[in-house]
Amino acid sequence: MTDRALKLLLDFDARVQREKSQPADFLHRRDRRFALSCIEHDTPADARGWLDHLNRLSGAGDEDTPAVRSIRQWRQIGIAFGIAGSVFGVVTMLGLLVYEGGQRINLSVLIAFVLLQVLLAMLTTLQAALGWQPWRVLLTRLQRQSSTQAMSAMQPLLMARAAHLGGLCFGLMSLLTLLVALVIQDLAFGWSTTLSTVPAGFTDVTAALAWPWRGLWPAAVPDLSLVEATRFYRSADGMSDVSASRWGEWWPFVLMLWSSYVVLPRAILLAGVQVNIVWRAKRALQTHAGWRALQYRMQTPTVDTGNSHNDAEDAPVDFQGRSSLPLPAAAVVIYWGGVADDSLPAAVTEHIRLACFAGGRASLASDRQTLSQIASALANGAGDAVLLVTRGWEPPTGELHDFIEEAQSLWPSPARLTLIPLAQNTAPPVPAHQLPQWLRLQERFTAGFVTVSLIESPLATAAAGEAHA
Amino acid sequence: MPDTPVFAVVGHPNKGKSSVVATLSQNDAIAIALEPGTTRRRHRYPLSVDGEVLYVLEDTPGFQRPRRVLEWLKAHSASATDRAQTVAAFVHEHRDGARFTDECELLAPLVEGAGIIYVVDGSVPYSPEDEIEMTILRWTGRPSLALINSIGSDDHSEAWKAALGQFFQVVRRFDALRAPFDQHLSLLRAFGQLEPQWEVPLQRAVHFLSDQRLARQVKAASLITDALSDMLSYRELSTLSEVQLAQGEEGAIEDSLRRRWLARQRQREQDLRGDIENLYQHTHLRRQETTLQWHSDNDLFSEGSRRAWGVSRRYLVTAGFGAGAVGGVGLDVLTLGASLGLGALAGGIAGGTGAYLFGDRLPLPVMHWGPLRRGLKTATFGPVQDSQFGYIVLGRAVDHWWHVSHRNHAGRDLLDLPPASDHWLESLDSGSRRTLQRGLDSCRKKRRLENALRADVEAVIAAALALYGRRQNRFTVD
Repeated sequence: MTDRALKLLLDFDARVQREKSQPADFLHRRDRRFALSCIEHDTPADARGWLDHLNRLSGAGDEDTPAVRSIRQWRQIGIAFGIAGSVFGVVTMLGLLVYEGGQRINLSVLIAFVLLQVLLAMLTTLQAALGWQPWRVLLTRLQRQSSTQAMSAMQPLLMARAAHLGGLCFGLMSLLTLLVALVIQDLAFGWSTTLSTVPAGFTDVTAALAWPWRGLWPAAVPDLSLVEATRFYRSADGMSDVSASRWGEWWPFVLMLWSSYVVLPRAILLAGVQVNIVWRAKRALQTHAGWRALQYRMQTPTVDTGNSHNDAEDAPVDFQGRSSLPLPAAAVVIYWGGVADDSLPAAVTEHIRLACFAGGRASLASDRQTLSQIASALANGAGDAVLLVTRGWEPPTGELHDFIEEAQSLWPSPARLTLIPLAQNTAPPVPAHQLPQWLRLQERFTAGFVTVSLIESPLATAAAGEAHA
Repeated sequence: MPDTPVFAVVGHPNKGKSSVVATLSQNDAIAIALEPGTTRRRHRYPLSVDGEVLYVLEDTPGFQRPRRVLEWLKAHSASATDRAQTVAAFVHEHRDGARFTDECELLAPLVEGAGIIYVVDGSVPYSPEDEIEMTILRWTGRPSLALINSIGSDDHSEAWKAALGQFFQVVRRFDALRAPFDQHLSLLRAFGQLEPQWEVPLQRAVHFLSDQRLARQVKAASLITDALSDMLSYRELSTLSEVQLAQGEEGAIEDSLRRRWLARQRQREQDLRGDIENLYQHTHLRRQETTLQWHSDNDLFSEGSRRAWGVSRRYLVTAGFGAGAVGGVGLDVLTLGASLGLGALAGGIAGGTGAYLFGDRLPLPVMHWGPLRRGLKTATFGPVQDSQFGYIVLGRAVDHWWHVSHRNHAGRDLLDLPPASDHWLESLDSGSRRTLQRGLDSCRKKRRLENALRADVEAVIAAALALYGRRQNRFTVD
């Protein structure tokens, strides 16, 4: 149970770290789909289900995941603590029970040692609660993989578990050693102190210590007579006049003292830390940034705005063909697509003999008639040049293309058509970004039939005139 | 007629049809050029939620031969009742030919049941010649809406509005390049008004898009928090052998570490910018990143950035006092209040004094030399110890976020990030300032930001984004 919760947290964390570089859209689509599938099948959309789902899709992978390795390493640490605790427990109890017949086993020392064990157990718990990790340097050296943030947060508890396990093994093995010693040896317990404590005071201490089991095993609560009888002084000779069996009557107290203050607290704290690990692992998962992100992805519909299409490369390349030419002198002009007949400067129109309108609202029949009329005029000495004035900002359409194509086929061969794209505002010339579409149009006709000319601005024309003069 | 609303975006060539589609579909990879004929085929841009298509936008080529088309239609129609059928017949007859390719691509979705979104350029004068196209569209009998998009700077929209009102059910102005997000949603609602059965899917689409917008803001705050945490806690390490130490290479190592540290910080900031741009589906902006226009003296570590994005000494003192006081409260708790709040006071004074004395400098992180162990010595550069650095990173990140989140996908110009002129973070409430300061301090002291504090800092940054957005929008309106 403990390891399952921990493994879930570590597996989840590893998966989140692994997917950090995945596109957000992909993750959203995938996880939303999983959530919808859970709703459909009425199954919970939790972290376990999510990981199982992903693992199922990916197939059987490496069993020896970082989570498994981490948990295995902590198990090994626990086992090492347990073995060390067991060995240390046997050795310690043998040391405490050293008795050669000529002296007593000092209960004061035993009680002090037991209280030290209680203190150590408390310190371990406090250290885990505060998250202090004095052993971190050692752990870093032992670990074969770097610890993740999720694992780092769990380490104080895992270390507390190992320490409590070691403490429990220590307590149990030392208790076992005590029992064996009780069976195979005659142990003489007594109490001794330099202080002028009266036996009644010591009885109060032992009675307070024996409070937990006083109802359970009254014989294990020492009375005043036993306390009075078993006080000894090292300077006094021999075993005095107390019966030899009287010294051994302390063993139930010692047994219960050890069980209640060394073994039981460690067992309770070990169980507590186990529960805490599960709780903390679950809480760490709930507060994991990746879990919040996953929940969001599962709860939020995926909105695809249709942005997958990419034709950015299809944009026309910069025009590299012929540039515009100077405006030729012409006797014929066509105003295309609604261009007014006063759009050209007087200097350009002074030689015009024939002005026509085409395109725009004019009918196709009217356009054909215009082309025939111009063909006749060209044949009758109206020169070779024809001007076609257009709105520069309106792109050349297929209709203009058709019109020019028809003109090329109808007009006498030396005829040339000059496109004059006008600027939207009256101040020419046409803006630079509108010119390439007209230059491209001239390229579509053979034998230089179409050229492009621009109306220069009056200021530029005047400046050019002055320079020429 | 299709169940899902389909809107064909049609019009004269080069009037911004693709720009409208790019903005509404949040796609910056649609070819948009100032020359006609960039769009040669119709293309569908569906908006789908969990795989369910709510509506489809269809980009189409522009009219090339409207007079010929109308002439054909008139020649083949007997009365007003067969006009839609005549248009369908036109498409059927010419779809395999070359002459009317564009018209067939344009009219086919309308024949299939799409609504009409007719786009005109409001910056050029209205011309009666355009009525031929409008007449053809009216022949299809489809529900229609006209959009006045302004490509240039002139405004002829009133004339357009008057004319379009005679041909279309709804006429709206929509600047595909500059329209704020609210207008996108408003336009989609208008699409839903064209047919009664289209209202619900379009309302749902608006709802989901609004939610997506909010969610992106939250996600942006999360990305910025991650970057702040990374940049403030980053350390550059190097290990020297005894031989190198004897040769006096400490100086060279320090230089190298400093350069690597600076380069990594700049790269991390660029990564954040890329993440934010991807979040808002500006994927092509990223390709132009190497040519991003940077204002001179606007680098992450420049004095210009410090002036633009650093906070005042007063801000640092108050935030430092608050953050220190929060730390000092721990002492009061440990003494069960016996310290009478002196812990909080002492912490606050320490935090505030530190901020006052050191807060207006931007020293780069100092070098740390570890002890000599087994003939090796480790040199560490970072993490940065200056409070201002966090505010500079944050200020630049939030400003970049604002520009990206308010950029329409029709935009093809380079992203321009001018330096700001106001210390907007100072408008945050005192609680948020304290949380932010604690977060920045924590990043500097520890390698990682704790989950709970991270969530608090993320919430403050989300609030800061909203605050900055409001301020910028107010400036824009003013």
